[in-house]
Amino acid sequence: MLERTPAAACLAIEGLTKRFGGFFALDNLQVEVAAGDIHALIGPNGAGKTTLFNLITGVLSADSGRIVFEGQPVMDARPSKRTLRGIARTFQNIRLFPHLTVLETVMIGEHCRLFPSLWLSFRAAALQLPFGEAEQERAMRATALTLLEFFGLADKRDAKASDLPYGDQRRLEMARALATQPRLLLLDEPAAGMNPHETEELDELITRIRDRGVTIILVEHDMRLVMEISDRVTVLNFGTKIAEGNPKEIQSNPVVIEAYLGEDVQL
Amino acid sequence: MIYQQLINGLMLGASYSLVAIGYTLIFGVLNLLYFAHGEVFMIGAFVGLFLVVYAGANIYGALLGAMVICGILGAIAVFIAVRPVPKDRPLAPLISTIGLTIVIQNLTIYLNGGQQLAFPETIAQKLYHIGPVTISAAQLFILGVALALMVLLWLFIERSKMGRAIRATAENHETAALLGVNVNRVVLITFIIGSGIAGVAGVLDGVKNSSISPFMGLGAAVKGLIVMLLGGLGNVPGAMVAGLMLGMIEILSAAYIGTTERDFFSFLILILILLWRPTGLFGTRTAERR
Amino acid sequence: MFNTLIDGYTQSILIFIGINIIVAYSFFAPFKTGQVSIGQAGFMAVGAYASAVLTQKFGAPFIVSVPVAGLIAGVVGVVIGFPALRIKGIYLLLLTLGFSEIIQVIVLSWDYVGGAQGYRNIPFNRHTLESVIVVVALLIFFFGRLERSSLGRAMDSIHQDETASEVMGIDVVRIKLFAFGIGATVAGIAGALYAHQLTYVDSTTFNVMMSIEILIFVVVGGASTYWGPVVGAVVLSLLPELLRTLREWLELLPVAWTNFYPADKIYDFLHGFLDFENAKRLIVYGIILIVMMIVRPDGLITRDSIPRISLKRWRARHA
Repeated sequence: MLERTPAAACLAIEGLTKRFGGFFALDNLQVEVAAGDIHALIGPNGAGKTTLFNLITGVLSADSGRIVFEGQPVMDARPSKRTLRGIARTFQNIRLFPHLTVLETVMIGEHCRLFPSLWLSFRAAALQLPFGEAEQERAMRATALTLLEFFGLADKRDAKASDLPYGDQRRLEMARALATQPRLLLLDEPAAGMNPHETEELDELITRIRDRGVTIILVEHDMRLVMEISDRVTVLNFGTKIAEGNPKEIQSNPVVIEAYLGEDVQL
Repeated sequence: MIYQQLINGLMLGASYSLVAIGYTLIFGVLNLLYFAHGEVFMIGAFVGLFLVVYAGANIYGALLGAMVICGILGAIAVFIAVRPVPKDRPLAPLISTIGLTIVIQNLTIYLNGGQQLAFPETIAQKLYHIGPVTISAAQLFILGVALALMVLLWLFIERSKMGRAIRATAENHETAALLGVNVNRVVLITFIIGSGIAGVAGVLDGVKNSSISPFMGLGAAVKGLIVMLLGGLGNVPGAMVAGLMLGMIEILSAAYIGTTERDFFSFLILILILLWRPTGLFGTRTAERR
Repeated sequence: MFNTLIDGYTQSILIFIGINIIVAYSFFAPFKTGQVSIGQAGFMAVGAYASAVLTQKFGAPFIVSVPVAGLIAGVVGVVIGFPALRIKGIYLLLLTLGFSEIIQVIVLSWDYVGGAQGYRNIPFNRHTLESVIVVVALLIFFFGRLERSSLGRAMDSIHQDETASEVMGIDVVRIKLFAFGIGATVAGIAGALYAHQLTYVDSTTFNVMMSIEILIFVVVGGASTYWGPVVGAVVLSLLPELLRTLREWLELLPVAWTNFYPADKIYDFLHGFLDFENAKRLIVYGIILIVMMIVRPDGLITRDSIPRISLKRWRARHA
């Protein structure tokens, strides 16, 4: 189902700056993410991590600098266009559709791939057979179910998203994002609120997603998870990069340790 | 000539302001468009008229009576159309207030008939000349009462303990509750005050136009909405100023451009504000999402 | 065609109900994406006046002027839809309200369409009932399909969380404009049909209260499913008739029963109260609205109320 394009996916952040009034959320940031990596983005609260995600997905627009995805600069103003290019994300405070079922939620993710234009989706809607499900709906459902199985949510397919326990909601968000067939997946604190056992399962899940050909950028505070699965780590503070390297290097970097002083984090 | 128009503009504006105050207070505290507010205005006018005609009250009695009765009406509205309705569906409270509007308006028509009623004279016919301006006793009275009421309300909101509680509730229900504010009671009091003021506005309107009608509520409701937006949602002083402004604009455009276009400007302003400055001229002060 | 089967009075009632169903759908379409419009009467006015001009001044046949008028209203809808994209909640309410009011003012001062006297002598059309029935059937069909389609799901997702939808690749801008335009077109068609039925429209015909009634049809009927608008429009349109029937049943009570006080007082009161003379009927209507919002704010029909007819499921159950 997911395209495996090993050499293509890579992201370059070049001199990205974002200001809110006088406050620099991101200051001339320079980062490169290699294809097929699990690249972690860490830093104290307020360092600019979610802002970066918002900029990459197009929810916010940068004041200066640029973002290059798979060799092409990302110019589209609208998030939906960026998703079509292959960038997907989850949210720090889960944003699910409260009244849709689990299955329907994932099917929303599929919509943009099956119907890249409004006309196509309208035509499909108008040409449906009454009292039965059109071929396309059936196929969407099947694909969605496969994805749900991957995430262990298949048995909950008809439950309302808002009725799910927290851990399941997080996984549903990931399933939904994955349904858009991304080549780059941004995970915003996927382990927040999880116990160690759940975090280990998450660990495995993220690795399996990467193995399907998706590059992952991971914002996390859970250092065990970060060090366990990341190929590369970038550390942000006050909107700039203060360190970068593989997990081992970061763990022993004095600049990083100092930045986290005062934060309740075990490196 | 222009002074006459300015005075007319102020009077119309004062009426708008008084109605908009209640609207914006309620919106600030509940994030609810209290559609029935226009009908409260109308009821105030009717109460005033009946007090004068059947109870022989003077204008002060009429004003007081209208304020009290409309305040009670506001409380009743809270208990039957606001509190019992679940707030998580955004349109449900709006519809129940629309239902209330329909009930109040048609109850009045049922009991009274749909025709206009003449509002008897309660203020001696006297003209005052202040410099180039000629103003009647009635006009002076209306402006005086309206401005006094606005000043009193402003002092109440800014200086009194309940006023602070109202402002806190308008910011955020949870925080206010944590600070010991009884949110339900504050909402009730807001409704009572807003409705009372609308009631007074209704009587003043009756004096100004020498007539009242059961249909005067809808127009007041719509104009009140525009003023509320113009002044900034939830912003009481903003509503006061915006109301006066809108009144002036309407009268001046009617005088110098034409009467059918008078409403046109109000709605044009509405749309322009929505598109370019939806927070209104003076900024909003509304409750956060709960 | 129906002229021989059904008398004129019944026809006009059916047309009235049919048009109410159509306008209910005109509110339903943008609402599905979360856009609440109380300006649909304004779009009706555009359709009404456009079709009147086409039929009366350009001699276009009914079957042409109605859809064209609808399209004109649709274009206006898309134009208004653009600024509507970035505003929400009460602001959108006010924008659509303002639009509707401005249309009224324009119509009032534009002499080409009658100005203050209104537009008279719109040719009455004997086929209005058939047209209404066809339009209603098409709408139910179309919205039923929409509900079961991916596009319909996308619209629901926009309603529930617009930003999340956008980030999932849903083309929120186009879909919202589309929904708003459809709503305006449908309202325009309703307005056109209405004009050719009443043969007279003026600047007070399509007022705020009408837009609000349209909203009420859908919210009371049930805004979460495509049967909601139909149920809401039918029930609320027939309310005076329902009340009159109740009154007639009341009259069937044995006379002896009502000889006892206070039964006769209660009887008199109810009997008078259910008189569907305007003001009293409206009072009951208002009370029903309040009660409904307390007791069943989701509306009369929700998705769970409708038995899902699916061939596959039938086969599965009877296999």
